[in-house]
Amino acid sequence: MATATATIKGESLWSLAWRRFKKHRMARVSLVVITILAAMAVAAPWFVQLGWIPDPNAQPSGPDIGSQYFLPPGSPGHPLGTDELGRDVLARLIFGGRISLLVGFSVALSSVVIGTIIGALAGYFSGRGFKLFAGPFSGPYRELFSALGLPWALAATGLGIALGRTLLAGFVGPALMVTVLALVLLTRIGDWGEKAAALLWFGFAWVLFAGFLWLVLDISARLELSPAVGYGLAGLLLIGGVLRSFTLDIDVAISRIIDFMLSIPSLPILLVLSAFMRNTDSALGRWVTASFGEAASVVIIIGILVLFGWITTARIVRGQILALREQEFTLAAQALGASEGRIVFRHLVPNTVAPIIVDATLQVGIAILVEAGLSFLGFGIQPPVATWGNMLTGAQDYIFYAPHLAIFPGLMILITVLAFNYLGDGLRDALDPRSRL
Amino acid sequence: MIAYIIRRLLQMIPLLFFVSLVVYTLVALQPGDPLEGLIFQNPHLTQEDIEALKRAYGLDQPIYVRYFKWLGRALQGDFGISRTYAIPAVEFIFEQRLPMTLLLSGTAFLLAVLVSIPIGIFSAVRQYSIADYVITFLAFVGYSTPVFWLGIMLLLLFAVWLPELLGLDQPIFPPGGFVTPGVDPDTVGLWNYLKDRLWHLALPAFTLSVVSMAGWTRFMRASMLEVLSQDYVRTARAKGLSERVVIYKHALRNALIPIVTLMGLAVPGLFSGAVLTETIFSWPGMGRALYDALVEKDYNVAMAALVFLALLTALFNLIADIMYAVVDPRIRYS
Repeated sequence: MATATATIKGESLWSLAWRRFKKHRMARVSLVVITILAAMAVAAPWFVQLGWIPDPNAQPSGPDIGSQYFLPPGSPGHPLGTDELGRDVLARLIFGGRISLLVGFSVALSSVVIGTIIGALAGYFSGRGFKLFAGPFSGPYRELFSALGLPWALAATGLGIALGRTLLAGFVGPALMVTVLALVLLTRIGDWGEKAAALLWFGFAWVLFAGFLWLVLDISARLELSPAVGYGLAGLLLIGGVLRSFTLDIDVAISRIIDFMLSIPSLPILLVLSAFMRNTDSALGRWVTASFGEAASVVIIIGILVLFGWITTARIVRGQILALREQEFTLAAQALGASEGRIVFRHLVPNTVAPIIVDATLQVGIAILVEAGLSFLGFGIQPPVATWGNMLTGAQDYIFYAPHLAIFPGLMILITVLAFNYLGDGLRDALDPRSRL
Repeated sequence: MIAYIIRRLLQMIPLLFFVSLVVYTLVALQPGDPLEGLIFQNPHLTQEDIEALKRAYGLDQPIYVRYFKWLGRALQGDFGISRTYAIPAVEFIFEQRLPMTLLLSGTAFLLAVLVSIPIGIFSAVRQYSIADYVITFLAFVGYSTPVFWLGIMLLLLFAVWLPELLGLDQPIFPPGGFVTPGVDPDTVGLWNYLKDRLWHLALPAFTLSVVSMAGWTRFMRASMLEVLSQDYVRTARAKGLSERVVIYKHALRNALIPIVTLMGLAVPGLFSGAVLTETIFSWPGMGRALYDALVEKDYNVAMAALVFLALLTALFNLIADIMYAVVDPRIRYS
């Protein structure tokens, strides 16, 4: 018996999956299609250099300029014709594919990374709350204070207050960065450091609490409510905040946020968000425009799509982790003294990789579709950057005499999204351990 | 059940509060000043006049104060005046645009249900037949098609190419709008008026329904296949029941349970996805109103449209959950 089992060759998950994947004909075709599209997207600038296609933004000049507009497909030099400004449709399609794939891949990758981290933390720490805020006269704060000794406790709290002040003064980024850094460093140096980190965090939270109190007073004053209401409310909050402590279960918080995101109408919100991000009167809009120039709208679209994209991944990962953390191998890792970060990211997350890969593939298609829709409405990627979506913006007005302007970009979107959906379908079958393919 | 519904309705209050707060902030931070148009039209305005106008409209206040003032008025049904149409925004959205969106989304929903369920059953019963492969492929295509492009292609087909090919002097389906100008019940009779309305509704409703149709067909097929492989279906067959009874009485009822939830949850998507369809077919619905309002900086209308869309979304999520309990006797809400 022993010799018989020894001759059976083991097969790794990936070679098994690849064998199953090859049996899904449409998925195989899709992989080829996607490879070709990606290769064309990467090589597009060289096509221009080699003179195979004209520059996508080159407009005709000279005396016969009028005859260069709306050329039908099959015209000499323009295999797919020209658009309303005489630009070559084929070149714009190839360069549009660059943007569509860039948006698709960036959104899918970022959403999946963010969604995995958030989902894993929510699942792993579900039911174990974090102390978020402890008033100066609350039990947890007094305990920490006496455990650390007066000088160190005062120093940690003071530092926390100072950081909170810089945050309120408007230095949001630096203040948050220093806080996170300090907390991570302090928790690394063992028991003493953890206590100091907790005190630092409480000091930080006090300042935010004070800011919130001020906001309540300010709103009630400006709304001309009676002073009794405003001061009464603020007073109650103050007493509660000084005496009480707050514990937050991050699973509850994240699940609430997900419920919230799922119950708002996404496309309308995306329209509003995209217009807001392009507002150059705001700090965010100025920064994006200054940093990315013409490509700013691409970055904006990627950003707002990720804002909605992480949710599906987070839900999948959270559900898986909730089940996995109860299994014996997690207990074994805990018993061997592995740190929580190691347990989450080395032991639990790798076990969720199959559904994550399928989700990522499907997200590429969704992101390409939504980007095209937003760009079509004029709220997405702005001309002169060519995308399949914004090539369709004007096309509807010309369908009577230049239908080719409407047909080709949409066809490219359809082919690309179809390929990613079939690929996702094939991967789902291939990575399913119960699959008998 | 009643207690559950009441609790869910109460939970909608904080939800709508946060949605409106977020949306108000985003709308208030939109590029361009709401007073821009006014200042542009009247070059005689001095800087002091502009300041006075800002004070009059409350624009000198911080956003969170403006939000609470807006909320106070909105709770009394006052969403401000539409600057473009010069009528109250709530009247514009609620009385003019909401019925049109409900008509369009409702028709699309019905169409998707009526097509996807029978085809899904057919596809599952004939698993691995040529028809099944064709249906599965078409469902994949429908699911991957950009809605707005599909709309343009249908226009091209029915309003340009086919009439040209057949030598017709008018399009098979109209290129947009919801009724032919001048056609109303008094002049052409109620029957002809309804026919004209349906004629205009056909293409937009079909376009909007395609994605749901494709998705539900695939889901119905999968759900039906799952049920057909279960023991009690084999028992029913072994008892000698006819295939019709096995499929439509024993299998279908259980296969429909997950579909009902899916459909309920998809309704809000039909409302908000209608932005694209309404734009292509110049259908005067809420999505189109929101789009126009954002382009023309008519922020009172934009807020009213967004709040109603959020309300509809929350309501239909609740309806989906209730339907789930209605069709599945194992589900009990307490």
